[in-house]
Amino acid sequence: MISAPGKSTQLLLVGWLRWRLFVNGLRTATGKLNLAVHVIMGAGIGLGVVGLGVLLGMGSWYAVRYGKPALLSCELWLVFLVWLLVPLLISGFGAEADPVSLLRFPLRHSTFVLLALAHGVFDPAAAACLYWLAAMLLGVAVASLGALRWAIPAFAALALLNLLLNRAIYAWLSRWMAQRRTREILGAVGILLALSGQFISPLASRYGQRALPWVSRLASAVRVLPPGVAASTIVFGRASRVGTACAGLAALLAYCGVFGWLLAIRLRAEYRGENLSETRRPDAEARAPVRAGWNVVGFPPTVAALFEKDLHYLLRNAMACLTLLTPALIILVLSMGRHGSPHPRITGFMLGGSTYFPLGVAYVLLTVVGLAYNSMAYDGPGLPILFAAPVRFRDVMVAKNLLHSIVLAAEVIIVFLLVQFVGGPCPPAVGGLTLAGALWAFLLNLTAGNLVSLYFPRKLKPGQMRRQQASGIAVLVTLGVQVAVGGSATSLYLLSRWAGNMAWCGIGFLGLAGVTWVAYRRVLNLVSGIAWKRREALLAELSRPD
Amino acid sequence: MIELAVETIGLCRRFGELEAVRNVNLRVEAGQFFGFLGPNGAGKSTTIKMLTGLLEPTAGQIRILGLDLADDPIGVKSQIGVVPEGLALFDRLTGPEYLSFAGRMYGLDRLTAAERTQELLDFMGLADRAKSLIVDYSHGMKKKLAMAAAVIHGPRVLFLDEPFEGVDAIAAGTLKAMLNRMIARGATIFLTSHVLEIVERLCSHVAIIHRGELVAQGSIDELRSGVSARRDDGQKLSLEQIFLDIVGGERAAVPELSWLE
Repeated sequence: MISAPGKSTQLLLVGWLRWRLFVNGLRTATGKLNLAVHVIMGAGIGLGVVGLGVLLGMGSWYAVRYGKPALLSCELWLVFLVWLLVPLLISGFGAEADPVSLLRFPLRHSTFVLLALAHGVFDPAAAACLYWLAAMLLGVAVASLGALRWAIPAFAALALLNLLLNRAIYAWLSRWMAQRRTREILGAVGILLALSGQFISPLASRYGQRALPWVSRLASAVRVLPPGVAASTIVFGRASRVGTACAGLAALLAYCGVFGWLLAIRLRAEYRGENLSETRRPDAEARAPVRAGWNVVGFPPTVAALFEKDLHYLLRNAMACLTLLTPALIILVLSMGRHGSPHPRITGFMLGGSTYFPLGVAYVLLTVVGLAYNSMAYDGPGLPILFAAPVRFRDVMVAKNLLHSIVLAAEVIIVFLLVQFVGGPCPPAVGGLTLAGALWAFLLNLTAGNLVSLYFPRKLKPGQMRRQQASGIAVLVTLGVQVAVGGSATSLYLLSRWAGNMAWCGIGFLGLAGVTWVAYRRVLNLVSGIAWKRREALLAELSRPD
Repeated sequence: MIELAVETIGLCRRFGELEAVRNVNLRVEAGQFFGFLGPNGAGKSTTIKMLTGLLEPTAGQIRILGLDLADDPIGVKSQIGVVPEGLALFDRLTGPEYLSFAGRMYGLDRLTAAERTQELLDFMGLADRAKSLIVDYSHGMKKKLAMAAAVIHGPRVLFLDEPFEGVDAIAAGTLKAMLNRMIARGATIFLTSHVLEIVERLCSHVAIIHRGELVAQGSIDELRSGVSARRDDGQKLSLEQIFLDIVGGERAAVPELSWLE
């Protein structure tokens, strides 16, 4: 009988596994292109991270040199929040290697825990935060070598605390996201929280004076949270208030204990083989007659069937539905800012109906075209039937484009009515220009989106937040098209103003829409051939088992 | 003149250096219950994917009911039904929504699709879960639903990739009854399966693919007499014995594992 390998051997093996998954992910052209996109984007973000590190180092030097715990606390809050939130909100690169999938092997519990923590350490956001802490430590050292005695343990404790808290949040979120119902509730709560953040500024400008006592109470409460405690530990330590500094360190370690305990509960359950199945208890269902499918006037029955299927999918995806609600909410937020503004005449001009409507429509466009650039993302397991059935892929795309067009039209109508209500009527000329521009931009995005959906698809799961992004190339193309649309529209607008005849702008938009319509039809005619040629790649990417 | 339901001529498929299917010439007559057999990795699923248009052949020709798949894919697809590997279900729809969708994709009008959906739900015993999303179905229920979707338009040729894998005896009985009814009304069924007892009980004809090449094709009796003549032991062979004889599994020495001795 042989014994299980040692911890270091197991860790090395898992490291090797991660490396092989990464290397094997580069076998396809899409994998290589995605790596190139990540390298380019990573270089840009890396420059920002380095620059911010220099600023943070200088800030911590100033804070320690002149005894400003609030500044140090602000810097540590930044590190704290980036470390916690960024890994949860962005998707990583490469295949996910969940330690739970390794439990079939004789993995020691300690190795399992270390692997869970390693996932947190090797995250790009964590690496950036560790670099920032190092830069801040350097700043502290330059300001006062004596302060290092307190800064090193305080920063180390904060780093450990961040790591434990990040992993605990991830583990608990994963537990809630393992089941469809809790996943969608959590997603909805997440989006509502993100949206409610946009209300802070208008509410502050409206109730600012009355809210001040509450804000100051909140600020003192924030001081006892980890970043504030770490900052106080360093500043009090430098001021030779050893007892207070030691209490601060003890508090940080206590936080580590609490977060470590929360993480340990999840890891213990996972290690013991917790099974969070999707399957629900079958409900007793009343037998109901089968309803006939829909007719969509002007479109063939296959398009109607596909449209019905896509609409069911959209309505059953709580995350997508909530995203589509955001333009209306943004209009409401803007209107609150207008009413609460100390300069209503200025903001009244800036944010009247003539501004709300174009802004709202632009936001609607951005929201809806996001769906068009990865339009088969949720088709996943059912996709083979679209290739096996006697249907042209052109019809599949027409159905998707029809759904996106109807969603866009509905949202534009809602925005128009809301603008009438909260910002006053939008002048017909502005409304007409906006609609002409939107028509062109939408057609252009559909044309590009149909091609990108076929060439750079990415499988997504409904109701899930993490790792739910289009492919890197699709994101780049989407950005490129929006920049091109924005630049062209602005140029056309300015040229028409310069010429003193805004009608030219509208005519220009309609002309561009006409040209784009021709291009859209041409692409649509090519879609069936492209999909047929690329069916293996599409099925491999979108229909692969999880 | 014999009508061929499935015919391949020099069918090949390469994946980079690997030649997964090599010069396969299949002939399946209309009305046959045809079993396509082979060891793991022999090329069964690759072949069935090519026959149903899910995978492009590197070379060769595929004719279904006399129509060339490359020239007239839509014409071919409207004559066939498919239960592919992985079942290909839109799992965020309910069972009735999916069946109605599948029917309309195959050209049924919406009322006919709804009527047949109801019949199929009753036949498959899925009517009492009509409001559940497919994602909440058990594996056996998904398999029955995929089978129902494949037959809703009354295909003349039905392709089934491992239809009985993971299905309990009761569900398997329902599926077999339906397949026998289809054969009785003149349809052709082309299935792959690892369960040789089921193939032997259901199929009249089989083909065996091994390492990408077609190594045997004919009725089970023809294959049996061919192998019996070679063995010359007078014993009535089961399909499993025929299969092992043809792919060489019986003759090959079973290697020993040193640490299990």
